[in-house]
Amino acid sequence: MRRGLIAAAIAVLASAAVVTAAVAKTSEPAGLAKADCTSSTLGFMGPLTGPAGFLGQEQLSWLRFGVLRYNTASGTKFKVAPGDTQLKSPVALTVGRKFAADDNIWAIIGVSESQGNVVTGNLFEKNDLVMVSGSATRTTLTTPGRPYKTFFRVVPNDSVQGPTIVKYVSGNLKAKNVVVIDSQDDYSVPLAQGVTRGLRARGAKVARESVSADDTDFSSIVANVESNVTVVVFATQVASAANTLSNQLREQGKKAIVFGTDGAYSPSQFKPKSGYVSVFGPDLHFDPAARKLVREYNTYSKNRPFGSFGPATYMAGLVAMTAITKACADGEADRAEITKAVGGTNIPSIIGKNITFTRSGDVKGVDFLIYRVTNGKYSPVG
Amino acid sequence: MDWDKIVQLLVNGVTLGSVYALVALGFSMVYGILKLLNLAHGDVLMVGAFIGWGILGWLGGAQDPSVAVWLLLVLMVLAAMAGCGVLGVAIERFAYRPLRRAPRIAPLISALGVSFFIQNTVLLLYGANFRSYDTVDLVDVEVGIHWGPLNVWVIRLVVIGAALVMMVALWLLVTRTRLGKAMRATAFDREAAAMMGIDVDRVIVKTFFIGSALAGAAGVLVGLVFGQINHFMGFNYGLKGFTAAVVGGIGSIPGAMFGGLFIGLADAFSVGYIEDFTRGRLGSAFSDLVLFLILIVFMLVRPQGIFGKPEVKKV
Amino acid sequence: MSTQPPEQPRIGRDEWVASAAERRARTVASRVQDAVEGAPAAAKLVVFALPFAAFPLLVDSQYLMQVGIDTLIFVLLALGLNVAVGWVGLLDLGFVAFFGLGAYLYAALASEYAGRDWEAQFAIPLIAVAVAATGFLLGLPSRRLVGDYLAIVTLFFLQIWLVVLINASFTRGPNGISDILPLELFGRQVTSLDGYFYVALAALVATVSVLYLLNQSRTGRAWRALREDELAAELMTMPVNRLKLMAFAVGAGVAGVTGAIYAPVQGAVFPASFDLVLLITLYAMVVLGGAGSLVGVTVGAVLINASLEALRDPSDASWLFYGVIVVALVVMLRPRWLSPVVLGGTVVFGLVAHELAGQWRPSLVAGTPFGEARIDELVESWVLLPQDLVTPDGLPTGAMGRLAYIGLIAAVLGLTLVRSRLWRSIGLVPVLYLAACVWENMLLAQPAVARFVLIGAMLVALMAVRPQGLFGRQRVEFA
Repeated sequence: MRRGLIAAAIAVLASAAVVTAAVAKTSEPAGLAKADCTSSTLGFMGPLTGPAGFLGQEQLSWLRFGVLRYNTASGTKFKVAPGDTQLKSPVALTVGRKFAADDNIWAIIGVSESQGNVVTGNLFEKNDLVMVSGSATRTTLTTPGRPYKTFFRVVPNDSVQGPTIVKYVSGNLKAKNVVVIDSQDDYSVPLAQGVTRGLRARGAKVARESVSADDTDFSSIVANVESNVTVVVFATQVASAANTLSNQLREQGKKAIVFGTDGAYSPSQFKPKSGYVSVFGPDLHFDPAARKLVREYNTYSKNRPFGSFGPATYMAGLVAMTAITKACADGEADRAEITKAVGGTNIPSIIGKNITFTRSGDVKGVDFLIYRVTNGKYSPVG
Repeated sequence: MDWDKIVQLLVNGVTLGSVYALVALGFSMVYGILKLLNLAHGDVLMVGAFIGWGILGWLGGAQDPSVAVWLLLVLMVLAAMAGCGVLGVAIERFAYRPLRRAPRIAPLISALGVSFFIQNTVLLLYGANFRSYDTVDLVDVEVGIHWGPLNVWVIRLVVIGAALVMMVALWLLVTRTRLGKAMRATAFDREAAAMMGIDVDRVIVKTFFIGSALAGAAGVLVGLVFGQINHFMGFNYGLKGFTAAVVGGIGSIPGAMFGGLFIGLADAFSVGYIEDFTRGRLGSAFSDLVLFLILIVFMLVRPQGIFGKPEVKKV
Repeated sequence: MSTQPPEQPRIGRDEWVASAAERRARTVASRVQDAVEGAPAAAKLVVFALPFAAFPLLVDSQYLMQVGIDTLIFVLLALGLNVAVGWVGLLDLGFVAFFGLGAYLYAALASEYAGRDWEAQFAIPLIAVAVAATGFLLGLPSRRLVGDYLAIVTLFFLQIWLVVLINASFTRGPNGISDILPLELFGRQVTSLDGYFYVALAALVATVSVLYLLNQSRTGRAWRALREDELAAELMTMPVNRLKLMAFAVGAGVAGVTGAIYAPVQGAVFPASFDLVLLITLYAMVVLGGAGSLVGVTVGAVLINASLEALRDPSDASWLFYGVIVVALVVMLRPRWLSPVVLGGTVVFGLVAHELAGQWRPSLVAGTPFGEARIDELVESWVLLPQDLVTPDGLPTGAMGRLAYIGLIAAVLGLTLVRSRLWRSIGLVPVLYLAACVWENMLLAQPAVARFVLIGAMLVALMAVRPQGLFGRQRVEFA
């Protein structure tokens, strides 16, 4: 009994200590950050642990690389604060509040997952904190009516990728019999639905299948694929899953080839004997203008494989840092000024074209490229 | 009757079932002796998959292996079995043994702690990217049996064959050797076995070693046939393996084998036929739902599983 | 006229032994305990609620208010889980589904998606009853299934619930329902976080009161009897099945109400919020705090949530890491003078190692540190910081980092096996130094991952040291 009391006393003291420490640290009210232009922090929000950890880790890696490069080139002292959302919206909300209350954070790079922006968009808008995402593609984040006034993204949204895929599949590949697979998450389901609608409108027969985001075996789905299906459109964020699907289609002697969406784009992991993948520009892997940057990144990260969202987050970081530098040109800046500066961004992208934003926060003029993959070799088409 | 599809689903189901059976065996054996649900078992499978991948990389990788393919596979499986066996023994010694007399729920929490720890250790040491076995570079996907409606990749045969060999070996161990007799005795009544001179602690250690070794082998087999591994893969296999053990009759070794096969086939066929059965109302997204509904009904009808004995409580 | 025996002087060994209980009762600890247990229930409730009520007055930041609300939600959920798991001993692995059901029901009653806007005083009671009824249904298999089998079936129900949530069109799938309207009580809308905090606090007070009364009542006693020995309880003519169903229903009702409060606080509900990781966290809170004790699970929930939050920030994490190690050493090493000796020895060892390593191979101490807290700056000239041990992303570049980490785990585990106190203390010194090196070099490089590594290790260690939890009673299981 006495030990129980001692345990209780320790527990109470410990919790008091933890709470006091936390309270003592941030007891100033959150206000507008002023004056300290020499070192500010970019808050990254995305999944760093859990089954989707590879998404956030790749983006964080490219962001850190970009910040390091920018600091070296222009003598600034930007920092990155990682915020793990674990792909869960309540966690995203908590992390969002933490960042919003932190005076040193002047821009949010994120949230990686679309639904994270839905929960935090209003919060950041109230705090005038700008959000530049490198991977949130849900259409409703910017249209209709710009629900989150401080949200920007450097990647085109689903309403661009869907029609691009539809056009190629039904126009160039002339597929009449298609299977569309989604991976039951908020990236793939709207995309898959959009592609299905578009293909059916063009008279193709579309069968819908669905797998879980962490599934690694598609053999039973493949058994469902009829022998006259020519294309299987797979909306996934796991490039190696698209690779496995492609192998299993071949294993069961099916004619169909895999068409992956931009989440499947990863030359080191999606290397089917024959397939297609769509990705938005700028595309670093094969563009000669980006070769130097890719070499530097490989040295920095010791050859860590990457897909399409890492470089996009690099761009997002660049946008934010340029805007902060611009707003600080007169020696003083606050969050609202930075948000405005982001809106007026006009900087060269990684491979030459300029990045500008529309009034609703979408990036202007970024197209989707389509690559044809043959024996693991990527060649641009369409 | 679409024979092509049925045959294909059978092959898929048996492949999956072999893996689930190996995992279920580990669960069943541990539960039989300790009445403990080893929730970290799936993560042991994951560690086995990573060990196999490590060996593969060490011996040149799938593109340029420095030994013959069959030897490479054997080495990978053996290394994973050894490594995971040791891991299982360590888990038992440090996470479960101190809790032998504690309330039943304490080892569960400890198991969850172990699971968190192992998963995130692998994440820390190897990163979040999916790692690939690139088996297709070793043995192309079109190498195998192509006979009529049957299209079976050689690697699937390897998986099924290896699992079969291990299950037969385990069956012989349990029924024909003294260790097996000791294991059965300890599972039946731990105190009586101790009184009969059986070193219960040693038997438990050996049970954990064997069960975890099987899970490790299953991990390598999964990596070989499905190609990609990551730190989170243990969860799904743990869940399905656990389900298989329960359906087969938890604590029963033939039960685990049949349970694994049953769940594997149910998995494959529910995905394959759900649309037909529900007349297009539910897509493959709901295949898990059908699976679990079947399982609930099954448990209500026969709670002790296929091979289990109904629990008789002695007053 | 009293007929009491004359006053005998109380001397002698037997007298001493006989008066032992008296002496114990005179100690401070016992007197405090008696006072606490004898106090009227209302006073206990006030003392319980006071720290929570004072919380909004002590904090200014919105972030901490959010953490406070999340903590209250966790406490409520832990209390609900405690009913089935702690009081009746049923393993309910589907509990989180009730939480989700409550949240989605609220979304169905008060969101733009559903086109309805019910006021809370109508919505919440309805949700409580509906979810409790579902809990009742979930408990029905308990008639046929016992113990682990029941647990498995409840787990299946949770999986089914998750599949439906993610894929059914009326739940809007993985996108969730994101336009939930704020809580409206008697015509007044709750708009600020402080407001939601007090709503959650009110729910907590109400729930604790109801649960406390239930525990003191015949039902509570019947539940405890059921937990201890089900067969004996049945033979004593207790309606065992009805009791079990009641436990499920009450727990589910609490979870449902909590969900109904959670939905407007978040403003949106997503399937990913109600998954197995939440279930695991809740179980950890209940068991670590002490299953069966209302105060215990509350403390467990607060502690675990506070630790999780504190570990989120890498600079706070360092303080927690070193602090816990020092506290653990002080508490667990006997005699008392041993802990400063070990700590001092570790510091000296480290300084020597740092010097020697610097002389022998300068690249071993030339790396870039990851830590940003003041304590990290102190420690950086003390630990080994090999260059290029990890990439800037935090991934180990070669075998050295991985081997050091695995070596640390093996060393710590091995140390628990050493019998002799002398050798254990000696062995602690290099192990502590290695732990600090691994922390600074590898764990701080990936703080999000390090968080879960620490939580996992803590769960195992705490269960090994005190399996009944902080406030639980030591129970002996008959195998």
